[in-house]
Amino acid sequence: FINRISDLLGPIIDLLNPEKSGNRLLREVFFLQTFLTHNLDKLLDSGLYTGEITELTGSPGSGKTQVCFSVAVNISHQLKQTVFYIDTKSGMCANRLLQMLQTKTPNMEEQMEALQKIKVFRVFDVFSLLACLQHLRSNGLQKASVGGGSVKTLMVDSVSAVLSSMLGGKQNEGMSLLMQVAGELKMIAKDFNIAVLMTNHVTKDGNGHLKAGLGQSWSHVPRTRVLLQRVEDTETSSLRTATLTKSSRQACHLVEEFDLCHWSEERRTSISGKRKLEERSKP
Amino acid sequence: MHRTVPSLPLAPSMKVKLINAGFQVASDLTDMRPLQLCKEAGISQEEAVEVLQVLRDDGQPHQQRAATESLTALDLLHQEQALGSIVTFCSALDDALGGGVPVGKTTEICGSPGVGKTQLCMQLAVDVQIPVCFGGLGGKALYIDTEGSFLVQRVADMAEAAVQHCTLLAEDTEQRQALEELTVEKILSNLFLVRCHDYVELLAEVYLLPDFLSEHPEVRLVVIDSIAFPFRHDFEDLSQRTRLLNGLAQQLIQLATQHSLAVVLTNQMTTRVSNGQSKLVPALGESWGHAATQRLILHWEGLRRLASLYKSPSQMEATIQYQITVQGFRDAPDEPRTTPDSSAVSSPSGNHSKRPRMEDLS
Repeated sequence: FINRISDLLGPIIDLLNPEKSGNRLLREVFFLQTFLTHNLDKLLDSGLYTGEITELTGSPGSGKTQVCFSVAVNISHQLKQTVFYIDTKSGMCANRLLQMLQTKTPNMEEQMEALQKIKVFRVFDVFSLLACLQHLRSNGLQKASVGGGSVKTLMVDSVSAVLSSMLGGKQNEGMSLLMQVAGELKMIAKDFNIAVLMTNHVTKDGNGHLKAGLGQSWSHVPRTRVLLQRVEDTETSSLRTATLTKSSRQACHLVEEFDLCHWSEERRTSISGKRKLEERSKP
Repeated sequence: MHRTVPSLPLAPSMKVKLINAGFQVASDLTDMRPLQLCKEAGISQEEAVEVLQVLRDDGQPHQQRAATESLTALDLLHQEQALGSIVTFCSALDDALGGGVPVGKTTEICGSPGVGKTQLCMQLAVDVQIPVCFGGLGGKALYIDTEGSFLVQRVADMAEAAVQHCTLLAEDTEQRQALEELTVEKILSNLFLVRCHDYVELLAEVYLLPDFLSEHPEVRLVVIDSIAFPFRHDFEDLSQRTRLLNGLAQQLIQLATQHSLAVVLTNQMTTRVSNGQSKLVPALGESWGHAATQRLILHWEGLRRLASLYKSPSQMEATIQYQITVQGFRDAPDEPRTTPDSSAVSSPSGNHSKRPRMEDLS
């Protein structure tokens, strides 16, 4: 009788034993401190978590791509890890990455090394995106981690650009493709213990409030969602607010303000702008 | 490649049949012959051939590479430095844009009527042809006109002014040689013009662009003036409009990246009423704002014309002043003139015409 109980309990005990290989329940969760401005890190509960999908939404020009750049630069320079960046809108600008790196270190070699750790894929439609994600899942990520420098981050900028033209109307394939993309991203996040950061656009609902694009079905995909907005009073200023709209770790609707200028040096004065540069102290 | 069947670019009904027949992964299908596939999946022979063709195309080296090859940011940096940008002849705007309109990205220019969008587009179509030794790109331009606002005489005037400007700058023999070939006729002959009357023609034109661009690889600029006009009138189904526009935007970005060209789109403005206040915002809706890589908004402030860089991945926001003269799109004068008659601003006392009148010449 006791043997039978221990037989029954055996597998359960194995399941709880973290040393057993193939055990998914207690896989270690790393978090990547993203070293963004102090405020943004606070919002994200000190960083991006591996195994999870985080989403940035915001109107055009609200700073989503800039935050992605900053995260990529921080991870490749400070944590010295490889970053995979899937760019669907041709928004990746290596000059801007270099600019951000130059504020972190004046050493050219370090800058070049950090730039080499950021790998960019350019895909422009949903089928290529799926091909890319499936390739990454099957052999791309393993190859990258073998070559030295583990991969801990995947960024997709932006998911909505390729998916929004497929949804709605008489097309019956949209939802299936959306779910396939979601499935691929989740599997990559979980199987390879990677933090996935993606950007999404915003639409206005009936009352004129901003909500994230791609509908209700997509809203279940990311674990954490941050909404970026311009500060309303000034027309051209570099201040932005970040609002936590979905999180499993912190209270929602936390708002933090940050400045896009934080990631670059003082601008040349040849531009006669209406902007005032607000220098914020570094954390 | 471990492509799953649902992720292939095939018709949905076809995919359902294939999955029902038991094919889950693309590698299951690669060794099939059309007749075999026909019997197993219950599709017609032509459809089977089509499916295998798509698979073969997908497995082609260059297709595969596009999706699976990555560049490091360092490679991209070198590429960007090689690509260059198109100057606008307004140095303040060029500074704000980081050298000019960037190649490999889409730029959207929004503005009220008469503020200078078409002028800027025509200026860019001339500037892209400036030879490499003068700092230009030496490429051709394709101008897709949907509004009918393209005036050849105006482009000829701008070309003349550009040639004169280059003549003044020519220093060494290489530049002088290039200058001999740079004539107004040559500039006009390197400008391809397409007139689209409605959105179907515009979509068809963009669909046929890859073939055109492979025949004319020197094209470095594609201008669509304007993209708002055919989509704004006579369009009942707004969600379809959004879908078409998003699809169009992605196609244009793909062309810009793969063929190394700059794509410039012109948009109109519409009024948004909120909280009892009205504001001018770019037309075509909220989600169109995400489509272009860079957004430039041209607006009036009294009699001054201002350009604001509203959205850019690499440049900071800035607002600069410009003016339109007989020679084209130029910098605004530094200090404001006291009397409006002698001002170099080309629209005194509410004369918002696109062509400056004779008395405005300074």
